[in-house]
Amino acid sequence: MNEPIIVMRGLTKDYGEGRGIFDITLTVHRGEMLGFAGTNGSGKTTTIRNIMGFLQPTSGSVTVNGLESWAHSSEIVKHIGYVPGEIAFPDLSTGVDFLKSQAEFLGVTDMGYAEKIIEKLQLDPRAPLKRMSKGMKQKTAIVAALMADPEIIILDEPTTGLDPLMRDAFLEIIREERRKGKTIFMSSHMFGELETTCDRVALIHNGRIADVAVMAEITNRPEKEFKIEFNNEKDYTAFRAAGYKIVRDQRQYNQITVALPREQICRLFKSLKSYDVKFITEVDYNLEKHFKTVLNSVKEI
Amino acid sequence: MFSKSLFKQSCKANGIMWIIITVAVCFMLCCVMLIAGNGSLGETKAAIENAVIKGELTSQTENRAINYYDLADSALDHFDNKFKTEFAAAYAQALQSGATQEQAAAQAQTVAYAKAALDLESGYYAALIQELGYAADSREALEIKGAIFYVLNPMTAPGKYMFDEDYKSWGEDPPRYDALLPDLISGSDRYAEERGKYVMNYSSMFLAGNLIKDDNIQLILDVLSDYGVTKEQFDEFGFGDYSYVKSVAQSVVVDYRANLKYRLDNIKDGETEESIKADVKGRCAASLLASLPSDVSDALMEIGQADLYGTLVGSIFFKMAGLLLPIIYMIMSSNALIAGQVDSGSMAYVLSSGTRRKEVTFTQAMYLIGSLFAMFLCTTLASVICFAIVDVNTGLDYGKLLLINLGAFLVMFAMSGICFLASCKFNRSKHSMALGGGLNMFFLVATMLGLFGSPVLPSIIRMSALNAFNYVSIISLFDVVSILEGTLAYLWKWAILAVIGVVCYVCGALIFDKKDLPL
Repeated sequence: MNEPIIVMRGLTKDYGEGRGIFDITLTVHRGEMLGFAGTNGSGKTTTIRNIMGFLQPTSGSVTVNGLESWAHSSEIVKHIGYVPGEIAFPDLSTGVDFLKSQAEFLGVTDMGYAEKIIEKLQLDPRAPLKRMSKGMKQKTAIVAALMADPEIIILDEPTTGLDPLMRDAFLEIIREERRKGKTIFMSSHMFGELETTCDRVALIHNGRIADVAVMAEITNRPEKEFKIEFNNEKDYTAFRAAGYKIVRDQRQYNQITVALPREQICRLFKSLKSYDVKFITEVDYNLEKHFKTVLNSVKEI
Repeated sequence: MFSKSLFKQSCKANGIMWIIITVAVCFMLCCVMLIAGNGSLGETKAAIENAVIKGELTSQTENRAINYYDLADSALDHFDNKFKTEFAAAYAQALQSGATQEQAAAQAQTVAYAKAALDLESGYYAALIQELGYAADSREALEIKGAIFYVLNPMTAPGKYMFDEDYKSWGEDPPRYDALLPDLISGSDRYAEERGKYVMNYSSMFLAGNLIKDDNIQLILDVLSDYGVTKEQFDEFGFGDYSYVKSVAQSVVVDYRANLKYRLDNIKDGETEESIKADVKGRCAASLLASLPSDVSDALMEIGQADLYGTLVGSIFFKMAGLLLPIIYMIMSSNALIAGQVDSGSMAYVLSSGTRRKEVTFTQAMYLIGSLFAMFLCTTLASVICFAIVDVNTGLDYGKLLLINLGAFLVMFAMSGICFLASCKFNRSKHSMALGGGLNMFFLVATMLGLFGSPVLPSIIRMSALNAFNYVSIISLFDVVSILEGTLAYLWKWAILAVIGVVCYVCGALIFDKKDLPL
């Protein structure tokens, strides 16, 4: 389970003028699903191209299954199913043509698995490639990447262009692959989908890894935050002095945000009985918030 | 090294384009070859050609006629002098031996005639050919002998003359030079005039009779082989006809004699009789071409000799018009094979399937070269079929047609190498198209402009300044002129084309193997 599959050590691809990726050190273990989050232009795709061996690193290295990507690109990609960020198909007429041609390239003779995925994605591959919508193209690309049943799956922003229902179907397929023990590396700028599927999420910002978050730690945080508003200032002042850890204090609204361990939730509610509370709401701590905190702290430094 | 799946994909992706372009090229080729071969090509050329040939033939004949006249005239001058001396001696002797004046004259004439004739042969003629350096049995010597003795038509026995049979076979009355001799003896005024006419008539007859012999016709045809004159044309112009040749010869000799007489009567300082003769002869027998300024005559001769059909098919179709469409195909497909797929990102599917980059470049290069080769196989087939259908007078033959098609393929091979290199080098289609396509289009346009300055065009419409364009286009390395003329200069130029192509393809593959791909 902890066998490293994709290992990046000080990986740098410098395009000059501060563009590119710098000193990326990241390991993806077997059976793990690693999310790769970052804003547009932060270097997600460059990192993936390095993993695939399409780019030669300026310095540092990236290995897949122990093989240097750049030198052994044609070897390592045999174990990788890749969905490129930019969907462009070879100059063939229909989706079926493309999938057949791709099967030939990959040496896949049994199209059974591909058909299963096609069915799940509700894709009609007989449509001409030129007339496919972005979503259909995306689905076709996913089928092409998965049909050889590769042990590593690399997805570059795979859900762009899919409608919410299709996105769920797609994420379900990915989760299923993960259950089968596949190693998955998925980039996205939508934190929500990474949150629900990934084991860990790495944040890349301006070409550098800003943070690697373990999802379990974020969803199961020992501390919870609650925002409470009081109807009068007297209660507000009294609560403020009650000894809770105050995260945010907004006097003008009579609002207080407190943070407390899970076990003390009961105690909080009991103590609130004596106050005139206008509302109480739990402040969700999610990936987005986490990364915002991280990025803010980075900026402050 | 070779990826079958990729080759199939490339075939599917570019197949339709290939078919359309190939059909268009073959159609164009058939149109050019069939329509141009239909006979309407170059009527002006044919007219000029005929005029030049006729002029040359006439000039040849006239030259001979004057030569024969001169030979015979000089020889008979010698004969006359000898005859006069011998006659005087023999006449005096005969009178001494008691003959009457008439008897003495007759006797002396016979004796003097025999002596003079003998001297003409063993003395004058022998000295003449020795002076000119001909062996006694050479063709030239025999011709000179004929020119002299046919005119004299020596009497072998009383009432028997040597060449009577020949003259009769030409339908002429045989000459009797002895009939003129009394006038010579008497010193009559009309003798010179009579003898001039005699020599003119009979040397013309000899010329005509001699010239229409088959082996002599062949000699003349050989001399004129540069113009591609055939026996049919020769006959068509009347040079196989006795009376026509005779009339040509007679009229030029009349001209010559009149001119010569005038010039000799009005002789200027510094002129000798020899120089005047040569000058007058040159003027009278000047050929059509020689009578024009040399630039013009060269130009006319060039048009007369030009192989219009070969030029049209070789230099105009296979070097320009016929290359345009294959170049367009080549630019588009070479771009689509590598740079286009990198630009769009679809190359990712090929490379992420474990196909090595070397396999990609090798397979795509094979496809590009193979499709161009197949295209020129089709044009070869089409051109051979068309050439079998048409019937034109041209230096082109099946072997040369194959070589021209092969040459066109080699040009395309070198040019596609450049496109392929650009396609491998650039990640953006537009850059690859701009360099590879732009360069090859430049070559094509340069060749078109260069054509107007190239020696392929007759000098009349040639603009030599444009020839500079031929030195900046690699299409010039496809040497159609050399192929048509049958020289071997085209071979080393082909070698350069092949080297350019191979180097570009290899460099392209090496560059693609090492570069970063934005996939």
